[in-house]
Amino acid sequence: MNPCLKKTTKHARIHKEFVIERNDIANAGTVASTTKRILKNEGFPSHFIKRVTIGVYEAEINVVIHSYGGTVIFDLNDDNVSLTFEDKGPGIEDIELAKAAGFSTASSYAIENGFGAGMGLPNIEAVSDEMHLTSSKEGTKLCMRFDIGDDHIDS
Amino acid sequence: MTVNEMMQNMPLTLVNKPKTVSRPINKLFASDLLSHVIGYAEEYDVLITVLNNINVLGVASLLDLSAVIFTHNAKIKPEIIERANDLDLPLFTTPLSTADIVQKIASLG
Repeated sequence: MNPCLKKTTKHARIHKEFVIERNDIANAGTVASTTKRILKNEGFPSHFIKRVTIGVYEAEINVVIHSYGGTVIFDLNDDNVSLTFEDKGPGIEDIELAKAAGFSTASSYAIENGFGAGMGLPNIEAVSDEMHLTSSKEGTKLCMRFDIGDDHIDS
Repeated sequence: MTVNEMMQNMPLTLVNKPKTVSRPINKLFASDLLSHVIGYAEEYDVLITVLNNINVLGVASLLDLSAVIFTHNAKIKPEIIERANDLDLPLFTTPLSTADIVQKIASLG
């Protein structure tokens, strides 16, 4: 079971899968903009959409600049939006350090493109209701959950 | 203030062809780190930056920013201009530094 899901949801209302290529900075943000479009179409309020979009964008950039590529699963469930980012390595050496604001192992290539400030994981933790990160040399798995809760459909 | 009012009174060159420059301006947001922009900028902000790459547009579009100003006379690549046209996002260049253009626009009130 996805640890970011409060309970097992048999059928997501909307389910999408994406592939992210290594170092594909030109297309970084595709998952985030698709997510934003889906949530907008579903009538979610802008503050909820912003929360989710920030989390997705940061996680997407992490896969682009730090990993050998990976996949994303997006589920819009009855009471939450959940996303799972899974990459093919090389993994995070020290997860606690990686979560600290300002800590970065980004390449100069990433930094030249405006990334690598060490704010990705802290930003995701701040905007999500749950973030779960596991990592080994074979890859990193990051899932995040955003509860729909009170900030549901715009009236 | 709107984007149009800002461009009339400032040393700014519009480098693309957005359908509208009438969006309102919430506030100015100066940063060269996209994670700071994505974390802290808000809808209708104007981003002021030296970062001259396509990801700036991705972030601007995700946040519904009103415009982007590239400082120090940045030369904007054709693919960036094209993408900004698709997104209908006004892009400006200025010969001024980030600090100087912020100060000038802020003086408009």
